[in-house]
This record gives sequence, C-alpha cells and structure tokens, in this order.
Amino acid sequence: MPGNIFDINYSKHFLENGLEIILFQDRTVPTVSVNIWYKVGSANEVPGKTGFSHLFEHMMFQGSKHVPKEGHFKFIEEAGGSLNGSTSFDRTNYYETVPANYLELALWLESDRMGFLLDALNQEKLDNQKEVVMNERRQRYENQPYGQAWELIFSNLFSPHHPYSWPTIGWMKDIENFNLEDVKDFFKKYYKPSNATLAVGGNFDQEEALYLIANYFGEIPGGNKLELPFSEPVSLNKTKKIVHPDNIELPRIYLAWHSDKIFGDDDASLDILADVLSSAKSSRLQKSLVFDKQIAQDVSAFQFSARLAGAFIIVATAKPGITINELKEEIFRQIDRLIKNGITLEELNRAKNSIKSHYVYSLQKINNIVDQINLYNYHLGEPNSFEYDLERYSNVTSSQVQQTATKYLSAEYVELHIVPKEGGLNV
Amino acid sequence: MFDRSTPPKPKSKIDFNLPEIEKFNAGNNTIYYSRKAKLPIVQLNIIIEVGSRLDPVDKKGLALLTSLLIDEGAGKYDSFELNDEFEKLGTVLSINANHDTFSLSMLSLSENFEKSFALLTEILNNPNLKADDFEREKKKLKSKIIQQKKEPSYIANTAFDKIVFDGTYYAYPEIGYLETLENITIEDVKEYYQKYIQNNSLYLTVVGNVSKDNIVKLVTRSFSGRQKLNNEQFIEPTLTQKTKIYIADKKDAPQTELRIGHIGNKRNEATYYSIKLMNTILGGEFSSRINLNLREKKGFTYGAGSLYGYYKYTGFFEVHTAVNAGNTGESISEIIKEINGIREKIEEDEINFAKSYHTKKFPSLFETYTQIAKNITPLIIHKLETNYYQDYIEKINSVKNEETLNAAKQNLHPNNLVIVAVGDRNKIYEQIKGLGAEIFIIDETGKVLETN
Repeated sequence: MPGNIFDINYSKHFLENGLEIILFQDRTVPTVSVNIWYKVGSANEVPGKTGFSHLFEHMMFQGSKHVPKEGHFKFIEEAGGSLNGSTSFDRTNYYETVPANYLELALWLESDRMGFLLDALNQEKLDNQKEVVMNERRQRYENQPYGQAWELIFSNLFSPHHPYSWPTIGWMKDIENFNLEDVKDFFKKYYKPSNATLAVGGNFDQEEALYLIANYFGEIPGGNKLELPFSEPVSLNKTKKIVHPDNIELPRIYLAWHSDKIFGDDDASLDILADVLSSAKSSRLQKSLVFDKQIAQDVSAFQFSARLAGAFIIVATAKPGITINELKEEIFRQIDRLIKNGITLEELNRAKNSIKSHYVYSLQKINNIVDQINLYNYHLGEPNSFEYDLERYSNVTSSQVQQTATKYLSAEYVELHIVPKEGGLNV
Repeated sequence: MFDRSTPPKPKSKIDFNLPEIEKFNAGNNTIYYSRKAKLPIVQLNIIIEVGSRLDPVDKKGLALLTSLLIDEGAGKYDSFELNDEFEKLGTVLSINANHDTFSLSMLSLSENFEKSFALLTEILNNPNLKADDFEREKKKLKSKIIQQKKEPSYIANTAFDKIVFDGTYYAYPEIGYLETLENITIEDVKEYYQKYIQNNSLYLTVVGNVSKDNIVKLVTRSFSGRQKLNNEQFIEPTLTQKTKIYIADKKDAPQTELRIGHIGNKRNEATYYSIKLMNTILGGEFSSRINLNLREKKGFTYGAGSLYGYYKYTGFFEVHTAVNAGNTGESISEIIKEINGIREKIEEDEINFAKSYHTKKFPSLFETYTQIAKNITPLIIHKLETNYYQDYIEKINSVKNEETLNAAKQNLHPNNLVIVAVGDRNKIYEQIKGLGAEIFIIDETGKVLETN
C-alpha cells in the first residue's frame, strides 16, 4: 500500500485576480476532476429572493459567450465525462470529471462561464430554467411523500431572518419572480475569481495545468474579497410543534435541536451520538423502536452541520396503527437513558470503526477526494485535512458523547408531525 | 491571448489498462477475480441465479422476504450480534433479491476481509431463520407496501411493469402484494432457502487487495459441495395490440409521473450495441433528444430520459419523466413524436456523439472496486465471455450508421405503447383524451378499475 492514504500531497497557488487554485496529482487514475467552489449559497439570499443561488446554478449550464446553450453538457458528455453542480446553504460547486487528456476542455468551459456568462444571457433561457426549477421543486419536494419536511424544520428552527431559515431550492413564489437583472447583479457580485477556489485532482502535469489555468482564468477581472454571511448564535426559547398534513399513509415524526456547526468542538461527538442512536440494528433507537417494540417502520438520527450552525435531527415513521406520540415517548425514553447512563465503550468503538471505514471507502472516487479537498479548504483553510478530520473522531471519548447528548438534547426543539391528509390517492 | 472561440482539442490518447479479470472455479462455484492494491479494501459480490421470478404466484415477495431474513442471525449469533460483528469490522453488507438474482454485496477493509467472509459464510450456510424475526420482517414489508401506495414514481414503475410484462413473472413487484405476503409462512422461507440457496452454486466476484490463493482457499472451505441448479424460464415477449393509456389518479398532484414504453427482446450481442447507441441519442443522457426537448426547450420537467434495459429473459423500452400537470398531454405527444422521429432519421453527428460518449467514458466505469465488481454482473446474468470488455470499444465503434437507424425501426414500437400516467385525474384527463388512445383507470398496483 503506497504510504498514508490520508496524507495527500497538494500545492496551492493564487492568480493575480484572486483565484485560489489547489492541485492534487494522482497519476494512477485515467481521469482528471475539475471542481470549483464559489463562496455563495442560499445563506447569501434575503427573504423574498430565496432560491436564487440555486436558480443561478442552473443558469451556469445555459451556455456562455463561446459556449452555445446545451453546449456545456454536450462537450463534456462527448468527451466521456460526467458533470454537475450543487447548491447548499454555504456554497455552490461545479464539477466535471473527464478523461485525463480532456483537462483543457473542462478549464475552457469553467473559465468561459466564470468570465463571460452574461454575454450569452437572455430572457428565454431564464424563463426556461425557471420552469425547470419549479418542476424540480414539484418533483423533489411537493409531489414527494414527506417532501416538505426539511423546509418546515429549518423555517421553524431558525428565525425568519436567519440565513438558514429558507430552503436552498427557494419558495415557489420567489422562484417565479426572478428577472434578468437579478441574474446580472448576482453574477457581478459573487461569480468572480476572487470568490472562488478551483481544485484539480487526478492525472495531469502540474506545470501544464498551471499554465492552462493562468491563461484561461487569468484575464477574468478580480474583485474585492467578500464577507461571508454572518449570524448570531441561535437557540429556541420554547419547543415548537408543527403538524403538517401530507399525501402519505404512515405518520412520521421529526425532532430537531440546534447543535454544533461543522468542525465545531462537538461536531464529531454529535456524529458519534447519531451513530450510537440509530446506525446498527442494536443501536438504541433501532433496537427499541424497530425491533423490540416494533412501533416504528424506520428510525434515523443524524447531525447536520454547516458553516453557521448545525442541527441534530431524529426521524421516525410509525407502523400502521401506531400514534406519533408513542414514538415520541419511546425516543425520549431512550435519550433520557443515554443522558443518564452514557454509552458503552463497545458502542463508541463500533461507531468509530464504522465512520473510519466509510471514510476509506469514499476515497475510491477522485471526484469525492477533490470535493473533499475544497470542503476542507473552505472550512479549515487546509486542503490536506483528511487525517485531522479522522482524528476528530478517534479522539472522542464516551463521556464526551454523554456530555454532548446532555448539552444539546436537553434543550428546546422543533417537533414536526407529518400526518395523512384526507383524500389523497383515491384508488 | 487564448483563442476561446472553439473547444480545445484533447491531448494525445490516455493510458488506460483495463483491470485484469480472471475467471476460475472452486468446486461448482465460479469466481471472477481482479486484484487491486491501491486502497486497503475488498469488494465481494455473490450472485445466486435465483430470484423473485421463482416466487409462486400466490406467494409473491418470497425471495425478497428471504433476503431480509437471511441475515437476521446465523450460526452462534442472533440478529443483533451478527449485525454488531459487521459494524465492529466496519464492513458494509447488503443483501437483495430481484427478479433474476439473489445477491450479496460486501465492502470491507482488507485487514477485516477474512473475518467478514467468515460471517458471510454463516449467513449463507447457517442462517437462523427464526419465527419471531420472520414475523417482524414480514410486517415491515407489509408496512412498506402501504407506505409506497403514495409514492408517485413507485406507483408508475409498478403499474408499468404489471402492464408491459403481463403474463410473465416480470409483471409482479419483487416486494409482492399485501395478500401474497399474507400467504407466506416461515416454512415457505425455509423451503425457499433449502431449495435455492443452501446448496446452490455461487458466482463470486472479488475485487481488491486480496490474493487469489486466499480466495480459493476461503471459497473451498466455505462453499464446497454446492450443486449447479438449472432454473431456466424462457418467455416470449408479446407487444400490446395498440397504444393504450393508463391513469392512476392522485388527487392534487402538481406533477404527473409518466412511463411510456413496451416489452422488448432479451439481450442479444448482435443488436446490443446498435440499440445502446440509438437509445443514447433518444434519451439515455442529458444531451439526448427527449431531455433537450422536454426540459431545455419546453421546461415541462426537471428531467426526462429513456432506457433500453434487459432482464435475463426479456428486454424492455421505457421513457420516464415527471411533468407539470398542465403539460401532461403535450409531454406525452412530444415523447411519441421523438420515438417516431428517431425511426425516421438519425444524423451522423448524433451517432458520432453517442460513440464518443461510450468509448471515452469507458475507463471511468472501472474507477471504484465496487464499479469493477458490478461490471461483472452482466457477464454472469447474460452468459458473456470473461474477456467481454477487452474489445468493448471496438464493438461500439464498429456499429454502422444504418444499423443505429435499424435498431430504432426494429426495436421501438410507437403504435404499441403502454403509457402510464400517475397524476391528478381532474387536471389531466381532458389533455390525455385528446391523444386519441384508449384510456383505462388503474389502481396503485396497475390493476384496471374502469375503461373509459
């Protein structure tokens, strides 16, 4: 086995316009992955204009000055590559993995839309993508059983002006109202080299890559450094209960607490807590709700963490004939037990092993590694944080997990019930 | 300054060495093996050539239920202990039954491979199959069926299969129905296990950092004495007489889930590549005709595509999308227009695009150990040669232009389509009526309730 797989060799560079570049060479793969993070996400939006970062991401695939509409996908697919983009609270990323000899194509495409998007923008493209995104919202959220849970939780857990209180897809009426000026303003403000990090990983020649990057991206004007969104620490004064009727058969309960942000002191400990509660069959909630009492069809617990805040969430679906309150009671019984008695060393080690091996498995794909490099760079300022990240978990002790549970799960929370509505599928 | 006006050309060709795949036997078991040492992990897949297609008609769901029960305790471990052992090793195990196969997939760290393999052996050779675990898993499946009644994409898929594969075992959902699950007892599971799993020969695929000798030793120790069973079940694909539309009513649905297609011939090497290229042009990728029309031109959907797929004994063609309720009728007619269109003309550019896509993408299909192992599955199901991938690129490139057009003419049947629409009947009925085909109202399983 070649060296330590968690210690990667990278180099970092800056262009004069402020573009940050991270190169990670791996000559054993036949591909190269180009991955750009723009430091803008839905947290940069304001009420009334929600969902714009995501809609804008769609516009980035509509062609630019030298690339025809539909060209971005077509060129990459023709080269046998894969590509996509995604928008979260904190950032928007774009990536393409192509055969190693097509690096220049990917750089050409990324630089053209970073530098020359507006030259090719028109009303027809915007109208088309607004329709597409509204259909995305229908397909993934509105016409999906339990599909609105996420936005109901976040809009209640955070106050209306907190940047995490609206969904990244945005509210439907906001999506409908966007116009060309919005696109132009957003592009000018956020899509400049100084607000982006370009990571390239895989099989390429370092000098050649730098030369190409300098040429393709160098002439794009830079700009001032932008401040990232800010928020005061958050908490709930009292528990909120929401009941949402949906087109479903089995009721589901969601419990959500404020927790620690990504890479915060308690973030890893919260991940382990989630594992102890719900990942193995003998985990606390699986065993009691799904196996012993058989009142839940499924149950899961997880730590969601982002730059400004985090949330610890437990979800359970009731078996036919079981009420949500029965689930809730048992979930809290298990939480109370854990807070009172802590977890065993065996539970702790099981969680650590499972987290570590999944981490190794994820290193199989060059695109995952490069995106992870960008994630580390964004949050920690150090791309080579693989080892650091894993150590966060190995350092967690069982008493720390108990303290974490006490600290976060004793607080007020959001309780969401998704319940069957009348009618629905009348067949 | 750089010339941005044209896309840069690729540099010289890349080096790509196809992972070496060896095939050998250990007793009656067949092993596919590829050594990879970059990461300290091992992917193991096991396929047994039985599946839901062997479920008795009144006991549909039996294979899947068996797959759920088989790792609920084995040997000296009860259900929790067994799962804990895997978790402690950080090994990920998944077990599944579909129409054609009963399969196990295990990803482990190399250092834990032997221990994981020992646990897997217990599961296959010595499962507990206990009555209380059985009752719980059966209840879970029944609840899942109830839950899925409200999932538009699930309803659309299930109804489409029921109608398209009518009269064959592929018409039934692997999960079964509430009434057929009700008929299944623990004795049935035990019988299924004894008949099809306990002594049946295995196909094992091993990719990763483990030696060949070690694999042979482990497989021989664990699985010798298994027999090759013959469970062939040939079927004759029959098309529906003329295009028919089936509506499952979902009140207030803002979108309509659509499935449009028909049954096809089973996989055949002579037509496989031309059909693949044709489907890539029609709907296989983002840049294909159907998606560019329905999404990028009309904005009716978040995405639309088509698939020409193969089970062991039959093939099928399917267009899938979810469209805005108000554009349901027009979406269907646009899709039919595209199916007709590709039977009339295919541009050379389009064929070159499809060939380029498949041949240049080829190396990336072997990126992860999991992918490499998965690529072996069709060799097993469709009885292809071990060196199948050696001349894959050549096979794609040698398809002639007229063969691609013929693939459309011979394998797409625009007058014999099954069209399933899961949506709000009040919003979509009039639009669909305008298409002129016979309309049926179906329930969430695909059963016809009324003929209109």
